[in-house]
Amino acid sequence: MFDLSGRVVLVTGSSRGIGRAIALELARAGSDVIVHHRENPTAAESVRAEIVRLGRDARIVGGDVASPVVTAAFVRNAGEWKGRLDGVVTAAGIYRGDATESVLPAEFDSVIRADLEGTFSTIQAALPFLRRSVRPGVVTVSSVMGSHPGPGAAAYQAAKAGVEQLTRALALELAPRIRVNAVAPGFIRTDMNRGGHQDPGFFAAVTKATPLARWGEPDDVAPVVRYLLSLEADWVTGAVIGVDGGIALR
Amino acid sequence: MSDSARFAGKVAVVSGGSRGLGAAIVRALAGEGADVAFSYRKEAKAAREVVTSVEHLGRRALAVPSNTADAAETESFVQQARAKLGRIDIVVANAGISGPEGWEALTPDAWKSVLDTNLVGAYELFRAARPLLAHSEASVVFLASTGGMIAFPEYLPYSVSKAGVIAMTRSLALAMAPKVRVNAVAPGWIRTDMNAVEYASEPAREEIRQRIPRGRWGEPDDIAAAVVFLASDLARFVTGETLVVDGGGRHRWTAGSF
Repeated sequence: MFDLSGRVVLVTGSSRGIGRAIALELARAGSDVIVHHRENPTAAESVRAEIVRLGRDARIVGGDVASPVVTAAFVRNAGEWKGRLDGVVTAAGIYRGDATESVLPAEFDSVIRADLEGTFSTIQAALPFLRRSVRPGVVTVSSVMGSHPGPGAAAYQAAKAGVEQLTRALALELAPRIRVNAVAPGFIRTDMNRGGHQDPGFFAAVTKATPLARWGEPDDVAPVVRYLLSLEADWVTGAVIGVDGGIALR
Repeated sequence: MSDSARFAGKVAVVSGGSRGLGAAIVRALAGEGADVAFSYRKEAKAAREVVTSVEHLGRRALAVPSNTADAAETESFVQQARAKLGRIDIVVANAGISGPEGWEALTPDAWKSVLDTNLVGAYELFRAARPLLAHSEASVVFLASTGGMIAFPEYLPYSVSKAGVIAMTRSLALAMAPKVRVNAVAPGWIRTDMNAVEYASEPAREEIRQRIPRGRWGEPDDIAAAVVFLASDLARFVTGETLVVDGGGRHRWTAGSF
């Protein structure tokens, strides 16, 4: 079950963190993978090499998802590789945790553009290639903070809430053929929140607040994406799966 | 690359395993390597067929006649499962009834029969199995329904019982953490005996189909796969979640209206 042999999947933001773990998990499940990065070709190359070692085909595309023009170009590049995309995973994103008083208009805009508009632009550009797949699926990456608010990071939380509703809206609009679902990770040990998990006090507080009593790892999120792209999830669309160790239960 | 035998050496108990969703869940768990004990109420012949299909997969199966609404029978079912199969790793509270139609003239007894099976019965299965789950990697999956998330006056007690299952999933996930994960699957319209009346009527079948964005009714295997996913290591950081498997149908006000 949950086999992805022969699939061709684009994973944005896959040079590091959750995106990287997803790219490798999909390759282990049998997919060929297009690795995407913004400005880290060395890290992307190491992911590509690891996928090839797993016996799958991989290529690298680059560009900032905050620019729809750039995104359209790298997604086209990704789609033309094998002539189709069976899956798109939008893991590219940025985090800003500033208090509201100190957020400049351009900073608010940069978060919305990367996290929300970038998700939309990626899917939009991928549509012609998804339509050439017999079993197309999209998985977006939200956050526990997309539905459970916390202080600070208001732009990030608004963007992720937007990603969840975008997921539901596109699940209906792109039905019946293209499935669209989301994962909503909790606190995961990645470069993006390095400041959080490297602070001993915050590290302990999150561990204590998480019912499963630990931080999540990128490898905890990746298998959920694998399920959502699999044939076994053929009747799952418009769903958001929390991958947060239960941190939002109370 | 199919890393099969995901549940090798593990034992699952499933309530209501002779037909419909339950039978598909039993077969899927066994297909991933689990030995499976399941309860059934009346369908002894169907239960024997499920046992045979599990044994064909090379796994052990145990079918126990047991009424989910009766706590003593559920306790006995779980004890027989442990005695015969040695341990319990996965609990799937699947047994359920749709109960009486409507909302205008429900008797207290009508409420009681649905809640006793769908909500209290699911809790009793969990309660009976809980002392045997005191090891890591144990997992509980409840069967909820999208009928517990949207307005469903056509079957009011059913709707309320399934909303209760979703609430119970969250509370028990918190209570059982960090060792045992507790999640739910919420199916939409599945082609089973429970929905045979709607499926048999061509206009009703087609009206429901058109409200499902994916454009088809669900199959028991769609739900069984979601149960396997949640019970497996793939969902190792997922707890307290209700996974909706409905072809997008719970967003049906938009899907059906425009």
